[in-house]
Amino acid sequence: MTKQQYVTIKGTKEGLVLRLDDKCAYSEMIAELRRKVEDDGLEGLAEVQIHTGSRYCNEEELKEIMNTIHGSPNLRVSKIQSDVITMEECNRKVLENQSETYIGIVRSGQVVKAEGDLVVVGDVNPNGRVVAAGSIYVLGRLKGIAHAGSNGNTKAVIAASWLEATHLIIADKMETMTDELTILSEQPEMECAYLHPNGFIAIDRLQELRILRPGLSSFKGGS
Amino acid sequence: MGEAIVITSGKGGVGKTTTSANLGTALALQGKKVCLIDTDIGLRNLDVILGLENRIIYDLVDVIEGRCKVQQALVKDKRFDDGLFLLPAAQTTDKNAVNPEQMKTLITELKRDYDYILIDCPAGIEQGFKNAISGADRAIVVTTPEISAVRDADRIIGLLENEDIEPPKLIINRIRRHLMNNGDSLDVNDITTHLSIDLLGIILDDENVISSSNKGEPVVMDPSNPAAIGYRNIARRILGESVPLMSVDKGKTGFFGKLKAIFSR
Repeated sequence: MTKQQYVTIKGTKEGLVLRLDDKCAYSEMIAELRRKVEDDGLEGLAEVQIHTGSRYCNEEELKEIMNTIHGSPNLRVSKIQSDVITMEECNRKVLENQSETYIGIVRSGQVVKAEGDLVVVGDVNPNGRVVAAGSIYVLGRLKGIAHAGSNGNTKAVIAASWLEATHLIIADKMETMTDELTILSEQPEMECAYLHPNGFIAIDRLQELRILRPGLSSFKGGS
Repeated sequence: MGEAIVITSGKGGVGKTTTSANLGTALALQGKKVCLIDTDIGLRNLDVILGLENRIIYDLVDVIEGRCKVQQALVKDKRFDDGLFLLPAAQTTDKNAVNPEQMKTLITELKRDYDYILIDCPAGIEQGFKNAISGADRAIVVTTPEISAVRDADRIIGLLENEDIEPPKLIINRIRRHLMNNGDSLDVNDITTHLSIDLLGIILDDENVISSSNKGEPVVMDPSNPAAIGYRNIARRILGESVPLMSVDKGKTGFFGKLKAIFSR
């Protein structure tokens, strides 16, 4: 090989993988990418994944890479993968993924907020409010207001030992728990509320959660 | 060094002032030196219920603003030999005439001379409430078996729990036996589970509470009255005795009643 390749193309089961060298200058890499894309003798439409390795690309650079690849009518970017993220993004992810525990009673007029998931050990009394960007789990009676997925996460759920809330909110969908509502049960024990694909909040047994939202489980280890 | 206890409820009309008057009297009957403070500036009542209205010369605001000494403003209840005193609220100004720091100083001063300082708190959660709780070591929350009173009690307990005072204790006032036994009002258990704080005692509703208040003579003076027994029991619990809780469904269970209860289980 006379010249080091900055862009390597590999075929995998999921389609093409474009590995972009992370040691060279960005301009050299993008120039080679442009060349490769142009003289590619592809037929039909191919999905490509981009691996940027240890190079951190900001929004604009990512856009440029995307545009370069989309310059060929045969290629479509399905995913961009990188081994690095900024500290800021990392901190945000940590916050979002952590679970905060509140032990005590959320009484009337009090608000408890979490950046990620929220676990309340105790009751949430009427007019008490619990808000989380992630899911809310109440080990006790939820009799107040619960807002899960407050940043717009529609996959968030609200689970409680006793689900007797006055208002349930998931992402931006609110449901007032009035008598007319057919989803309410006589014994609201061990239940969870989630956003149904039909756009409304639905309530089911706690045990159904593993089927409804398998992605929520963050458990690692054990056997 | 005495102990300052604030009596509060959030909602108005649940019996804070009546409870303050009766608990103060009951503690004085037990031989303790008690000082009652009415912090409901602008809407004072405690003096009337104790029958001390005509003896007022100075009030709380006079003391705070330095127009008189505390001892001059305290009204002595002559029925108790140096056992019960009242510091009346001012009637001509409002709650903003006093701030929490001033109350704290005043109560610290009074604690040197009295075993118990009972602070009668005004309704609401504004300035008057903040003043009333500022000097307190302990808090008693009064509620009635009504959903609105219980909701407000919950709010108040939340505010009290954020303060630097002991966890509040609960008094359920004005219990009507037949309503509670028929399930037409919240029962004692429902309320204590909902609020999750310790129950200090219950007071049965009784007409004599009103008539004796009107006469300026707290009902607790009548040892046979059911409400008076409730207040006396609470006073003994404050003093550290363990007194069993009064039964709400008393009077229903004769032999046949018990038999019926067994079969209806």
